[in-house]
Amino acid sequence: MTRSAWWRRFLVRGVVWRQLLRFGVLNTPSWTEPTVIAFWSLFFLLWGPGRRGVMRNLAVIKPRSNALGNFVRCYRVFWNYAWTIADNVRFKELRTIPDWEFSGWDHFQQLQAGDGAILLTAHMGSYDLGAQLFSETSTRRIVMVRAPEADPETRQFEEHHGTGGVHVEFNTRPAELAFDLLDNVRSGDIVAIQGDRVSGPISVLPAMMFGRATSVPAGPFALAMAARVPIYPVFVVRLGRRRYRLMTSRPIEITRTADREADFARAVAQWMAELERVVADCWFQWFTFEPYWPEKAA
Amino acid sequence: MTFHLVVDRPVARSLPSRHRFALSRLAAFVRLGRRSQPQEAAEHLILAIDRDQTGAEMNCVALWVLATAASYFAVALPFPWPLSILAGVALAILAIHIPIVGGGFLLRLLIGDGDHASLVSAATMTLLFIASGYFAMTSSWVRFVGWLFIGMLVINGIAALFLWLLRDKVRSAEERCVR
Repeated sequence: MTRSAWWRRFLVRGVVWRQLLRFGVLNTPSWTEPTVIAFWSLFFLLWGPGRRGVMRNLAVIKPRSNALGNFVRCYRVFWNYAWTIADNVRFKELRTIPDWEFSGWDHFQQLQAGDGAILLTAHMGSYDLGAQLFSETSTRRIVMVRAPEADPETRQFEEHHGTGGVHVEFNTRPAELAFDLLDNVRSGDIVAIQGDRVSGPISVLPAMMFGRATSVPAGPFALAMAARVPIYPVFVVRLGRRRYRLMTSRPIEITRTADREADFARAVAQWMAELERVVADCWFQWFTFEPYWPEKAA
Repeated sequence: MTFHLVVDRPVARSLPSRHRFALSRLAAFVRLGRRSQPQEAAEHLILAIDRDQTGAEMNCVALWVLATAASYFAVALPFPWPLSILAGVALAILAIHIPIVGGGFLLRLLIGDGDHASLVSAATMTLLFIASGYFAMTSSWVRFVGWLFIGMLVINGIAALFLWLLRDKVRSAEERCVR
């Protein structure tokens, strides 16, 4: 192993942190867990780019906030993030299931009963845990689309320690993936995509959130239009110790007219309204560590 | 208990089986007899029957253990009080990691990779018991902290005995709640 490769293991997305988290989950007594997580959440604050990203986003979500207040809020985001990733690993390694509360139960049942659907979610709560819940309670296959881990060792680690219940597709080859996903949806699968932030060179649609311009991935909307299936906004929110709420909102139907841009704009506006409502209520669980609004990033 | 998940029964939130320590389980059993099915805001509810599920219990024990360990460090440090308390808390947080890291690696070497949380838990409790025994014998104020820790362990042991004697009643009360 070269010197640079050795160091890469300790970068933010390096494999060491995943190994450490797994080690912690397997060896930490449940009654010291709150102390351990409180400490490691403080440690996360040392991650400058992540901390600044969260604080910049908080400045938009809470316009009357100040830097000190947002620093404390940032700790709360990291605290929730630490619990969420720990719960996720605990499920993968020990099959420990948290408590689940459902809101929008009718929409959830409709989603399960329909002929293929797109599940649009955000980087909130434990979306991995939510997908696992789906896969274990549903007769439908869940296909989860996500960005691959940048670090090869981390990617290998995640593949090795996955649960296998959810079929994961990586968005590395957008053109081929689009056809595969179209086939999946048409054959009745539920395709789960994160629709809040754009990562990598993918096509985007303009959007507004908290009164500011941003962009969202175009893929889920184009797929829904092509397959003629509804998009269900679904959010997984952590409520407390090993306790989550799965919120399913009214489906977004994309009607196809001569004006495709207007069709997309209507669907994106409905999605952004849902996302904004949930992020405003649960800002402490929006795990977006990069500045979300381009002007803020600048 | 033969069930691991309970669906749409909010009263199951406070089942004794969802608590780890005997004292907490006994208290949950006493409360269980008095409770009716509470109103539930969620449209659908899935509750896991897991000993580590109750946040209030785990947070209280975590805080108490941290405060106990911080007191032991604070009294041993030669600094002025406010500094000793701050340093005591920091050292206690680090000390809580020692059995996890040390014990975790040792157990991994001895018995292989896997879930060692129960063994690390027993080791941590033993270390705290030894430390409490030592500080309980001193003449400083920290002896009260030490005696409190030992006292709580004894009370928890008595609660475990009661729970064992009441095991059939506890099981049937839980089954009544979830069925």
